[in-house]
Amino acid sequence: MIKAIIIDDERLARSELRKLLMDFPEIEVVAEASNAGEGVEKIENINPDLIFLDIQMPGKTGFDMLSELDKAPLVIFTTAYDEYALKAFEVNALDYLLKPVEPKRLADAIQKLHLQEEREQGPMVPVNFNRSILSENDQVFVKDGERCWFVKLSDIRLFESVGNYAKVYFGPNKPLILKSLNALEERLDEKTFFRANRKHIVNLRLIDKIEPYFNGGLLLELKGGEKIEVSRRQTVKFKEMMSL
Amino acid sequence: MHMTKRISYYWLCQFVGWSAFILAYIFFYISLRTRETPYFYHVLLVDACVGFLVTHIMRFFILRLKFVDKPVNEQVFYIFFISILFALIYATLGSTMEQVLHIEAERQKTLALFNKIMRASMGCFTFILIWNLIYFAYHYILKTRQAQLDKIRLESLVKDLQLKTIKSHINPHFIFNALNSIRALIDENPNRARNAITELSNILRSSMQAEKVETVPFEKELGIVKDYLALEYIRFEERLKIEYQIDEDTLDQPVPPMMLQTLVENAIKHGIGKQISGGVVKVISDFKEDFHELVVQNTGYLNGHINGDGFGLFSTKNRLQLLFGERANFEIKQVGSDLVEARILIPVEIK
Repeated sequence: MIKAIIIDDERLARSELRKLLMDFPEIEVVAEASNAGEGVEKIENINPDLIFLDIQMPGKTGFDMLSELDKAPLVIFTTAYDEYALKAFEVNALDYLLKPVEPKRLADAIQKLHLQEEREQGPMVPVNFNRSILSENDQVFVKDGERCWFVKLSDIRLFESVGNYAKVYFGPNKPLILKSLNALEERLDEKTFFRANRKHIVNLRLIDKIEPYFNGGLLLELKGGEKIEVSRRQTVKFKEMMSL
Repeated sequence: MHMTKRISYYWLCQFVGWSAFILAYIFFYISLRTRETPYFYHVLLVDACVGFLVTHIMRFFILRLKFVDKPVNEQVFYIFFISILFALIYATLGSTMEQVLHIEAERQKTLALFNKIMRASMGCFTFILIWNLIYFAYHYILKTRQAQLDKIRLESLVKDLQLKTIKSHINPHFIFNALNSIRALIDENPNRARNAITELSNILRSSMQAEKVETVPFEKELGIVKDYLALEYIRFEERLKIEYQIDEDTLDQPVPPMMLQTLVENAIKHGIGKQISGGVVKVISDFKEDFHELVVQNTGYLNGHINGDGFGLFSTKNRLQLLFGERANFEIKQVGSDLVEARILIPVEIK
């Protein structure tokens, strides 16, 4: 059973989608929200597997709402017509539905969801013992100007502190997110993500080379070619972890 | 057709001009002569024919080298240059012909040919210069008139295009959202759904017709606005409050099609659509002094969006002034802490 939330500012649009989803018994609509604020609240309380999300909403857009979440659930966007939004999708190959929703299109989107479920072998969203810690299979939504990405934590090499922001390194991209490195460190799994120094958190699984450095420190070279220094204090901890 | 007319003008002017040249000489010869000049008529005929021929060749060069298309200050130089050149050719040909045909005046017979040419070229220069001045002046006037015509044609083309782009502006986002709401209504409230389809088709029809007419009676535009707001009400439900304050006498005033509709659409998009708790859209139409005043008020804040939709605002004013003259106006401003007002002023024509 897939727990889903519908987020759309129009009551009729929500009820129309609910009606269409009755053909898919595996999807259970557990809640509705009519704006971004309500949406964040319900996502955090209910922790759904899937959300249907309208992009144009009063107050904040669907994109803004997603980038506020620590962890993005699976998302199917619904929009009436929005060239700007569609451009953002092209880059990321996210799934989206155009309103009025074609039942065939909805069936395809749900089929895609099942495929993803199979690929990940097991529950779609891994059950965390401690819900506040993100696992490496969790995805985050990153929005930088006009571009948006869903990124799996396991694909992120490096978080770099830039003032109040953090620069997120994955693939060829390094967008900024409005989160402090300390706040990130609290939510990240320390088995995978390691605080190398005051300014950097690295993904231990994406380290390419380790070299000794001045003052008994270390220099890590990541898969993307970035060179990160491990402070002396953290080097001790790093060696402990790696020897395990 | 244009070309043949120009060519025939040229030949006409050549014949008339050189005939006038002959007639003027004969007139002065007959009225002012003290004694007869031998071969006077022969010489005159030869001069006119040679002049005709030389200027025709000169025109060939002017056309070939496109002197007429050069900037005016350069043209002055070319006029003098070719006038001198062709005056010499004219004099050479004329004097040679006279000598060959033995029709020279007695006193000229003794002079050397070069001397004769130099003497004749002074007179020839005057004629060639006059010929050129007329020729270039004619083309100058023709060109200016053409340029003015082009400018007017361009202006009207731009006006047409501007009107078209503004008029064909119906937001697809709105259409698809409306269709989606209607689909949901079909089960929930079939009667309302049927009305909604009528409202939507009214809007689509008039947005298509808007490209064909410059103005419509306000009553018609108001009908569209009412249909539009009724559809938006289906979407926004209790979040949208609609108010009208219409002076009945304004109903037959001419207004540009889809202009009020666009303002109301913006009021929804940037005003109500941005407020979680929604708000009010109020449409006012009345007379203020000798203007027809159309006002759209909505809950919301102006900051920022005035630039985002800058084209729409600028083109609205432009379109009004193209249709109703400079006195027509459009402005949009914040009038209360959370109220935005768009105002159109159209001068009323006194019949």
